[in-house]
Amino acid sequence: MLPIAEDPELLQAFLVESGELLQGLDHDLVKLEACPTDQQLLNQAFRALHSIKGTAGFLALEPIVRVGHRAEDVLSDIRQGRLQFSRRIMDALLAARDQLGVMLADLRAGGLKQYSLDSLLSQLEQVRSAEASSLSPKVADPPLVPSPQATAPPQNPDSGRAKPKVSAVSREPTAPAAQSMRVDVRKLDELINLIGELVLERNRLLQLTKDVARGRGVCSTSDSPLMHCALRVSFITEELQAAGLRTRMVPIETVFAKFPRMVRDLAHSLGKEVELVLRGQETEIDKTMVELVSDPLVHLVRNSLDHGLELPQVREQAHKPRRGTICLQAEHEGDHILIRITDNGAGINHERVLRKAVEKGLVSEEQAARLSTREINELIFLPGFSTVENPTNLSGRGVGMDVVHSNLRKVNGSVELDSKPGEGTVITLRVPLTLAILPVLLVQVAAEVYALPLRSIEQTSRFVPEEAHQVEDQEVIWMGKEALPLLRLQNLFPDKSASQPAATQKVVVLEAAERRIALVVDGLLGQESTVVTPLAPYLNHCVGIAGTTVDGDGRVRLVLDPAGLIAAAASAGQAVSR
Amino acid sequence: MKPRMDGLDRLSDDPRSVVDDGSRQLVSFRVGNEEFALEIQRVQEIIRHQSLTRVPNSPDFVEGVINLRGKVIPVIALRKRFGVDYKPQDGETRIVVLEVRDMVLGFIVDSVPQVLRVPIKAIVEPPRIFEGRREYVTGVAKLQDRLLILLDVDRVLECGEVAAVAGQGG
Repeated sequence: MLPIAEDPELLQAFLVESGELLQGLDHDLVKLEACPTDQQLLNQAFRALHSIKGTAGFLALEPIVRVGHRAEDVLSDIRQGRLQFSRRIMDALLAARDQLGVMLADLRAGGLKQYSLDSLLSQLEQVRSAEASSLSPKVADPPLVPSPQATAPPQNPDSGRAKPKVSAVSREPTAPAAQSMRVDVRKLDELINLIGELVLERNRLLQLTKDVARGRGVCSTSDSPLMHCALRVSFITEELQAAGLRTRMVPIETVFAKFPRMVRDLAHSLGKEVELVLRGQETEIDKTMVELVSDPLVHLVRNSLDHGLELPQVREQAHKPRRGTICLQAEHEGDHILIRITDNGAGINHERVLRKAVEKGLVSEEQAARLSTREINELIFLPGFSTVENPTNLSGRGVGMDVVHSNLRKVNGSVELDSKPGEGTVITLRVPLTLAILPVLLVQVAAEVYALPLRSIEQTSRFVPEEAHQVEDQEVIWMGKEALPLLRLQNLFPDKSASQPAATQKVVVLEAAERRIALVVDGLLGQESTVVTPLAPYLNHCVGIAGTTVDGDGRVRLVLDPAGLIAAAASAGQAVSR
Repeated sequence: MKPRMDGLDRLSDDPRSVVDDGSRQLVSFRVGNEEFALEIQRVQEIIRHQSLTRVPNSPDFVEGVINLRGKVIPVIALRKRFGVDYKPQDGETRIVVLEVRDMVLGFIVDSVPQVLRVPIKAIVEPPRIFEGRREYVTGVAKLQDRLLILLDVDRVLECGEVAAVAGQGG
C-alpha cells in the first residue's frame, strides 16, 4: 500500500479542494480590505487557510504547511484583536496566497520544487510584530535580508509538523495529475437513470431484431414495434447527451472569482479607485468554455481599468464620483451566455481611434471619414491596433483585442462593443453554452453536402437568377428591401469536377455579427443536431470551414463557418478586380 | 479482413523486433512503380481505402479527411507527394495510419502492405539517383529480387510545402 502522502487520489482531492479554497480566499481577503471588521469573512479566510495547511501537513507537503501556517498566524492575531488590518498586512497575506497558488500549480504539474520562502515568511512574521508592537516607523519598513540558507526550518517552535525539508521536495515527480472537477450528485443520478433506460431499450431492440430475423416481427410499417423502439432509443440518446453535457457545466463564478483580486491590485498600481460588481455568478457554463473565456475576460477587464476608467481627480472634474465602477455580469440568452463588462469611465475616444487607425494604415483617410460609430468601435478589434502611446505591461501591446476577437470567433462566439464618450463602455461577449452540439441545416452544393449552423441562418428561399445583379465586382441579390452580397460556394471552394447546378437553386441568408450574405446552394436537405469536431490543426486555416461532423453512414461532413464565409465574400469582390 | 492489424501491434511490442539482432522489421508497400518501406513501430494500423471528404483550399497533397472510428484524420496521397500520376483507387489501395509529431494521419498506398524482416547489412545509403528525394529517403534495402526504399516518416512531411502546413499546426 502506498503511504498516505503518496496516494495520488488523496493528492488529487487536495488539489481540487485547495484550488477552490484559495480562490475563495482571494475573494474574502479583497473584501476584507474594504470592510476589515467583518468577522464572518475573517473566519472564512481563516478556515480556508487552516484546512489547506491541515491537509498539506497530512500529505507532508512541507513548504505549503510553512506558508499556510504563518499566514494563518497573522489572521489569527487579527481575529483575536491583537492586530489591525493594514495595507501592509494585506499585501503580505496576498503574497502568501500567491505563493500557495504557485506551489499548488507546481504540485499539479508534477511535484513541488525548491522555494526560497524566507523573505515571504519573515514578511509575514514582521507584519505581526511590527503592527502589534505598534507604529515605530523603523520597524514599519524592515529590510528583508534574504538568508543564504533558503531552506531553513521554520522559526516557529510550535510547528511540529516540520519534517526534514527533503521529504516533500525530493519526492519523485508524479505524472501530471489528470484534470478533475466536482459534479453535483443529482446530475450524475440523472445520467445513470438515463443509462438504465437505455440498457432496457437496448435489450428490447435486440429481442425485436431477433424476432424480425426469425420472420416473426413485422417491420415494414411505420407503426411496427421496431420503429417505436428505435424512436425511444433516439429519444433517450438525446436526453443522455444533454445530461452528459450538464455534468460538465460549472457556475461562471469559477471564472469571476479571480477578478476582485486582480482589479484591486491593478487599481492600486494605476492609482485608480474602483468598485467591482459581479452579477449572475451562478450562470452555468461548459467547463471547456471556462478556459476559453477566462483569458479574454482578463484582458477586457484590464483594458476597462487601464483605458476606460479615469483617475480620481479627472473623474471629479467631470462631476463623476471619484470611485469608478466596473460591472461583470453573466446571463443566459437562448443557447448562449452573455458576459457583459460595463464601466462608467471615459468611453472610447473616436477621434483618437480613427487617428491611430489611419496612422497604422488600417484604414485610409477617405474610408475613415465614412465610418459609422459602430465601425469605428470595431476598429479596436483589428490586429495591430493599440492606442496607448506608452505601452504598459497591463495593456497596450497591440495584441489583445484582436486575439479576444479571433478566439471567440473560433468557438462561434462574438464580441461587441458599445461606448458613449464620457459615460462609459459596454463590451458584450456572446459565447455558446457548449461546444459540443450544434443544430445544423444540411445543404447540398454540387456533389458535396455541407452543414450550416442553424443559429446563423436568417431565412431560406428560392433562388431567382434574374434577381441577382452585378454591382462592380460583387454579385448582389435583393432580399426584401435589402441588397445582400451573393456568394456562390463554387467560387470559394474551387472543384475540378464541376457539375451542372441544380435546376432550382436556393438561397440561404446567413448572419454573423450583424453582417449578412446570401449563399447559393443546390438543395436543402434538412436539419439535424450534430457533434462538431474541429479540423486537424494544420488544416484549420481553410477559409469558411468551422469543423467536421460524421454523418449516419460514417462519412465526414464539413461544417461551414458563416462568419468566415461572410468575410470571404467581402474580400472576394476585391480579388476579382485584381 | 479485419481492419486493424492486431498481429502487427503485437509484433511491434515484442522487444525482439526492437532489439538489435542484426535485422529490422519493416512494413513495405507500393506507390507507383516503386516499393517503399517504413519502420514497423511507426505504423498504427492499416485500413482499406474509404470514401474521403475533400477539404476545399487545403494543401494539394492532402487528399481529404476520413472518419477513423469517430476521429477525423487527414489523409495524404503519397502518389502526389512523390510526383507519381494519379490513379483511381482499386481493391488493393490501402491507407497506412501512423502518428507523426503528435498527429494521426493516413498515407494512401497502392498495395496491401507486407511485414518483413530485413537484415541490417542489406540496408545501404541511398544511391545517387535518389539525390532529389534525399531528404525523405534514409536508405535502400537490397533484397534478392527487389529494392525497398526506406522512408523517414517525419521527413516525408517536413519537406517543402508540407512543412509550411505542418508548422502551422504547432
